[in-house]
Amino acid sequence: QTVLRVATWLPPTDNQNTIVWPTWAKWVEEATEGRVVVKLEYGLGHPKTMFQIVEDGISDASFSFHGYVPGRFTLPQIIEMPGLGVNSEATSVALWRMYDKYFKAENEFEDLEVLGLFSHGQGTIQSNFPVTSLDDLKGKKIRVGGGVQTYLAEAMEVTPVGAPATKAYEMLQQNVIDGIFMPMAQQKSLRLNEVTKYITIFPAGMYMGSFSMFINAEFMDSLSEKDQAAIRAVSGEKLSAMAGKAWDMGDLDGYKAAIAAGVDINEVQEGSALSEQFNALMPASDQAWLDSVADKNIDAEAVLKELRHEARHYNAGN
Amino acid sequence: MTVALIGFAVLLLLIIAVRIPIAFAMGIVGFFGFSYLQGLTFDNLFSFRWSGMLSLASNRIIDTAQEYSLSVIPLFILMGNLVTNSGLSNALYRASNAFLGHHRGGLSMATVVACGGFSAICGSSLATSATMAKVAMPEMRKYGYSDGLATASIAAGGTLGILIPPSVILVMYGLLTETSIRELFAAGFIPGMLGILLYLFAVKYVVWRNPEAGPCGEKLSWPQRLSAMNGVWGVLALFVLVMGGIYAGIFTPTEAAGVGAGGAFLIALFKRTLNLRSLFLSLIDTTRTTAMLFAVVIGALIFSDFINRAGFPDDLYNFVVSLDISPLGVIFVILGIYIILGMVFESLSMMLLTVPIFYPLVQSLGFDLVWFGIIVVVVTEISLITPPVGMNVFVLSAVLKGVKPGTIFRGVTPFWCADIVRLLLITLIPAVALILPEILYR
Amino acid sequence: MALSQFIAEHYPDKGPAKWLAFGLECVTATTLMGLMLLTCADVAGRYFFANSINGAVEITEVLLAVIVFAQMPVITWRGGHVIVDLLDRFYGILLVKVLALFSTLLISAAFYFVAERMIYLASRSLRRGVVTEYLEFPVGYIVQFVAVMSYVCAATMITYGVYRAIKSQQ
Ligand code: NA
Ligand code: NA
Repeated sequence: QTVLRVATWLPPTDNQNTIVWPTWAKWVEEATEGRVVVKLEYGLGHPKTMFQIVEDGISDASFSFHGYVPGRFTLPQIIEMPGLGVNSEATSVALWRMYDKYFKAENEFEDLEVLGLFSHGQGTIQSNFPVTSLDDLKGKKIRVGGGVQTYLAEAMEVTPVGAPATKAYEMLQQNVIDGIFMPMAQQKSLRLNEVTKYITIFPAGMYMGSFSMFINAEFMDSLSEKDQAAIRAVSGEKLSAMAGKAWDMGDLDGYKAAIAAGVDINEVQEGSALSEQFNALMPASDQAWLDSVADKNIDAEAVLKELRHEARHYNAGN
Repeated sequence: MTVALIGFAVLLLLIIAVRIPIAFAMGIVGFFGFSYLQGLTFDNLFSFRWSGMLSLASNRIIDTAQEYSLSVIPLFILMGNLVTNSGLSNALYRASNAFLGHHRGGLSMATVVACGGFSAICGSSLATSATMAKVAMPEMRKYGYSDGLATASIAAGGTLGILIPPSVILVMYGLLTETSIRELFAAGFIPGMLGILLYLFAVKYVVWRNPEAGPCGEKLSWPQRLSAMNGVWGVLALFVLVMGGIYAGIFTPTEAAGVGAGGAFLIALFKRTLNLRSLFLSLIDTTRTTAMLFAVVIGALIFSDFINRAGFPDDLYNFVVSLDISPLGVIFVILGIYIILGMVFESLSMMLLTVPIFYPLVQSLGFDLVWFGIIVVVVTEISLITPPVGMNVFVLSAVLKGVKPGTIFRGVTPFWCADIVRLLLITLIPAVALILPEILYR
Repeated sequence: MALSQFIAEHYPDKGPAKWLAFGLECVTATTLMGLMLLTCADVAGRYFFANSINGAVEITEVLLAVIVFAQMPVITWRGGHVIVDLLDRFYGILLVKVLALFSTLLISAAFYFVAERMIYLASRSLRRGVVTEYLEFPVGYIVQFVAVMSYVCAATMITYGVYRAIKSQQ
């Protein structure tokens, strides 16, 4: 019997740790007839070091957010630009397909084997002031993460405040910031429903965040071919879809928490002035991603098109 | 469980008997302990894949040295150094002495109260004790206080930094357990006040046992007291700047450290006490303490990597579950474990290590997680002054050259007992912690 | 001159160690001052000019690493790390010296090995083009700095640190 150690982070109560990993663990144990058992390990360091921890064989597998290591994983960030407008499950499956077809050869993951890719839910604006026009955001102090969020913040002329996500609650509570760009799930997981009054959701989505789950390639080699095949059979698209679904459920819980706390949720209508205003930002943000992958050996524009087609036509049933 | 316990034993041996600096002892035991769990034996000493282990240690060093939230450490220490430099500490203690000095141990009492006040602008116990050491120690020495009482009142008073809001540790707890942070902050307030009160009794006890430890000063008239208050406008201004800024939402507690240091810098300029030489000395004094503290945090993190990998957290959980006892009994077992771990661990790593293991258990037994958070923070406070590894004590001994940790540990005993009394009160009467959040938010 | 008098007064180290210590502490003092001014400017900018400093968090993180690791050699060779001295009164002077020497060698080795690894990690990170989030500053340079300072810790401990351990009058 081989123990497959998964280094994890996020709170133990997060869906990633209560649903995604345990479900995959069950799949792996069943597929290998109990020869490989999965064990979760917390607290091995900052999420950005998870890639190295697995690469160096300290743990066998893990997951992380590509935005934590800017510059290294530019290709999977293809899903982060605004306008995709579908849920995490569809995005995750589409992203996996593009990775499998085009990105794998670019070898961004080097000694790691990618088990699955997924996305967190659509980004929203969570604020203590109502947003009826993008002009309402001008000069407001907004906590932003990196990547495409920085770009959007610039285009919306907000005063960007850089701070770790875990500081968000404190900063909102004390009015150090007026709002934050975050997916719905954080209304519950970071308890932002206690400290925000308004949520603005754009019809075609605002931005997304890409994650990967990966395993040490040497560890895979050390398993029998039968077990390797068994693990691969329960990973890839199957795992990506399951993870995306779990993160969608997180968003739903966040949505419920927001409603329960009486947060005013504005689901912006397609074609409304605000929606049009936001859509005007999109071509330039696409270009920013295309520029970031200009040195890669792929037809980025075509892949982006294909990804959006796949994502929008994904049917959870098939 | 065995491997982890052997690890603990080796660590204690290296720290106490072999006299290896704690930071390095923790790092080295963690490193080799983890290597052992990765398959290191005497036979494969040279073929062992050391690179992975060295990467793990290197990443801990690199990431911790760049940890944004730890920037409060140098900045709050600098604020204290600059405040001390501008002579405000003397003024503060003249004022304190005017009101409390005629009591036996009065300056120690003033120190405890001042620590409580400082805790309300600082989220870290280490920064609170480092700062208050600069402010309070020279004065207590001047008035002939024994090193034991003087340092103990700072070390103990400093622990209030993580209980009285804002608090880094409470925020971490809130995020680990998905508990309301504002409720945690509200819940920390009364136990913090209770802490001040009990520490005052501890001072009383010490001077009752040994009147020489804290001599009384002369009693001043009210006009004299008011004129002594005149000298502390700078401190008040700084308090208003930092506290007001945090509560009005102008900056975060992390930023408050920088703004507070900036404010102290301006006050020192205004008072014309600052020259290039004294500024330089304040700055390097701060960076020396900072580097020392970071070394300890890094060592503790590497050690906890080993403890984690050894499966100690899970084993502890199973051990607690296997004891067939009442819910309150389980809480007491957990408290006992915390106090034992607190002998060795640094506050934050103890918190990160244990809370994810214990809180599901505590929750399933039907206890309130806000209450448990306060309990955990109080136990963590106790760990800061529990030998042989009490971080607050070490900070003091580093800041005050010439005072040995042993002296401080001996002096701190009555305060430690006061903490145990407080812990029992909060454990047995949850309302002490829960009444404020109940009134304000529930 | 005033400067050499100041150094003589505040730097008890011997020979070149005196100047190395002063040089490094000039760096840490300036950096800390910069860190304080950065935070104040960031907060003031946000409130008075509706424009905070881009990447203030990142700069803070880099400055923090500079402060901690530029200072590390000096406090390490001066024996500034926390030790538990509970048993000193039972140990003779000789034993305390032998133990101090042992610690010195151990610490020197520890810094040397992590420095070797960090140099490798730095070059790997530079090769992969990893940069910071807002300012896109190559992360590898920060790692290289920490690695170089760790080498300095190792080198000063095995020379001046050993000398101090043997000469100490404790
Ligand atoms: Na506090
Ligand atoms: Na302790």
